[in-house]
Amino acid sequence: MGNPKKFSFTLKNDISELKNLCRQLESVGDALGLPRRFVFEINLALDELFTNIISYGFNDRSEHAIQVSIAADDGMLTITVEDDGIPFNPIERAKPRLPATIEDCTIGGLGIYLIKNLMDDVWYRRSRDKNVLTLKKKIETI
Amino acid sequence: MDIVEEKQGVIHTFKIKGRLDSNTSQEFEKRVFDVITNGTKSLIIDFRDLDYISSAGLRVILKATKALKREDGKIMLCAMQDYVKEVFEIAGFDSFLPIVSTLDDARRAL
Repeated sequence: MGNPKKFSFTLKNDISELKNLCRQLESVGDALGLPRRFVFEINLALDELFTNIISYGFNDRSEHAIQVSIAADDGMLTITVEDDGIPFNPIERAKPRLPATIEDCTIGGLGIYLIKNLMDDVWYRRSRDKNVLTLKKKIETI
Repeated sequence: MDIVEEKQGVIHTFKIKGRLDSNTSQEFEKRVFDVITNGTKSLIIDFRDLDYISSAGLRVILKATKALKREDGKIMLCAMQDYVKEVFEIAGFDSFLPIVSTLDDARRAL
């Protein structure tokens, strides 16, 4: 299916970078002609991941770069998120169960639950002192 | 995010516009809890112009719903776009949060 299309950008470990994330994903979405719903879903998954990384992944007050790479190939979008924080696997955190009533409902782990539901595949590895999270999602054309 | 507040009788309505995420949820939480603290018991959140919500936004809605319930108050959520509603559904929140189609439906239910 031809050459994969690749994109990459860097985010600082600051919550205000969510705006930048949104802008970057919209331009990737435009370049690939992705449906709005698809862009919304990858934005949500990456928002939850990014928010987790900057909340738990760094134990200093320095600026860090979080590198996002996106490749589209043969109907599959592959997103890689790398950071140089402490070894931290966000998807291993407590698995939430869906609440049946409002009293049951706590919010911990909800972001990770959303990521797992929005993406087709998510895995973590520690490589060269970096956390590397890979997310895959089949591109829906409608 | 823009937040517009309207008061009609005892009903306080928040019209939220734009993106409700970790960047904007604190401001929204403060505005909602100011109103609850001041004794409002009937709250509507109008999602018509909201384009995006993350778990940080869901957290505020959940906290507000619980706080109102303790005060014997009631919250209604209305006019969600499909994508936004989907987030409530994936999280399982649609099973216990009152979500209706229109602002009029929300007013009638309070």
